[in-house]
Amino acid sequence: MYLQLPSRVMNNPIIKVEHVSKAVGSRQLLSDVSFDIAPQSLVSLIGPNGAGKSTLVKIILGLDTNYTGTITIENKERIQYIAQQSDNDPYQLPLSVHEYLSVGSTRLYSRQAAQPDFTEELKHVGVSAEVLHQSYHSLSGGERQRVAIARALLTNPTIMVLDEPLAAIDYGSRQGLYELIRHLQKDHAMTVLLVSHDIESILPISDKVLCLNQTLHTNCHPSELAPNITSPQQLMHHHC
Amino acid sequence: MELLTYTFVQYAFIGGSLLAVLAGVLGPFVVQSRQAIASDMFAHVALAGIGGALLFGGSPWWGALPALLITSTLIWWLLESETYSPDALAMFFLSGGLALALAFVHLARDTVFSFENYLFGSILTLTLTDLYAIGAATILALLIVGYFWYPLIGATQNPAFLIPYRRTPQLVRLLYFWLLAIVVWIGIKTIGGLLIGALLVIPVLIVRPYCNSFKQITIGATCTSLFSVIAGLALALFVDLPPSSLIIGVLLTLFVLKGLVSLRLRT
Repeated sequence: MYLQLPSRVMNNPIIKVEHVSKAVGSRQLLSDVSFDIAPQSLVSLIGPNGAGKSTLVKIILGLDTNYTGTITIENKERIQYIAQQSDNDPYQLPLSVHEYLSVGSTRLYSRQAAQPDFTEELKHVGVSAEVLHQSYHSLSGGERQRVAIARALLTNPTIMVLDEPLAAIDYGSRQGLYELIRHLQKDHAMTVLLVSHDIESILPISDKVLCLNQTLHTNCHPSELAPNITSPQQLMHHHC
Repeated sequence: MELLTYTFVQYAFIGGSLLAVLAGVLGPFVVQSRQAIASDMFAHVALAGIGGALLFGGSPWWGALPALLITSTLIWWLLESETYSPDALAMFFLSGGLALALAFVHLARDTVFSFENYLFGSILTLTLTDLYAIGAATILALLIVGYFWYPLIGATQNPAFLIPYRRTPQLVRLLYFWLLAIVVWIGIKTIGGLLIGALLVIPVLIVRPYCNSFKQITIGATCTSLFSVIAGLALALFVDLPPSSLIIGVLLTLFVLKGLVSLRLRT
């Protein structure tokens, strides 16, 4: 069900970041960051540790309002956010997968009025419906992240922001998940902003690559990048 | 068994059971949100409300309710604004509540009043009016928890469930704080402000290893809490010890037994 928007709409950015800066005390976290994200595209945000990626994500999500500059987002009520999956927290109370999905799709938290079909949504992300009554925390890291993506999809988002979604997941499972994210982005006609360190895996699936280290260093299509780039440091010195 | 025919004993069993059900249902939210200390914080604030009511000639227990609701809102606001760390806030309200309570009671010059009844409970002194109030508050709180079940699970998750550009989970957390205020209000009249935290937390810790879902934990914690209150009160009919200490004693015994069973299963 690939949904193609009219070209008039496609030409207007769905996310527009203009001259965004943020400082905490004397420390500059972001400095004059500007870029656009086109609708129905997958944009990767790459940068070394402490580059300000999570700060920028928080600002885009409206969770941090203490900054200068302008953020313009179309349809901001239909953004979904998927955070990094931490390793299993020993103090966490068990939550069944059914309960986990219900939290995201409850009418108070989701604008979708229709009764969600958990089984169908799990199938979309490649997870068996048999896990519905298992504890969410007993699943593997990869399965937990697939279920988290299913929960986000239940609300039919137009924009999905994933902040280092696969950081705690083994390398073998990562590639499949990146391909799943790309497939779902196209299938649901979503705009995806993907924050990651994993350059080699995300370049092939991205429509645009942004490299951030307090300020924006790179803003180009992956085909414009040299093939031997494997680290954010190399990317920072690359000119499109 | 003749003791069971006394009205005050019957009231104690009814009031204690209502508290046990409410604490059992709310306990998993308290443990999940990592705010077990909040019940103690609220209890100390309730003491300030009790002292204030005493100073102005009101009913001490009823004086605690507005103090709890106002302060729980303030604590929620301070936590959401992330101005101070949760442990620093806890210390602020624990000490501040107690200091205010002492000052109010001193100013009231009431020589009969005893804080002990509210610190350690006075379940055997419940009146019919108290029971009506406890019953109404319990039913209201349970209806709210039932209606907002999934939103409450999301709002008390750690890390917190977030929705970009909407503050709904934050508002549900305020609702959770008010529910906690209600359980503490009932707790100070029955089991005691300093002991209510145990009834909220220990049943969850006992049943947690045997559950796969939040619903199972809630049912298990409610049954455990109810058992401990009934068993503790029943023991109090035969043993010359305060009912509150016996209730918590039952809970601690169950917790140790659970530990021994886990140890046995592991070896």
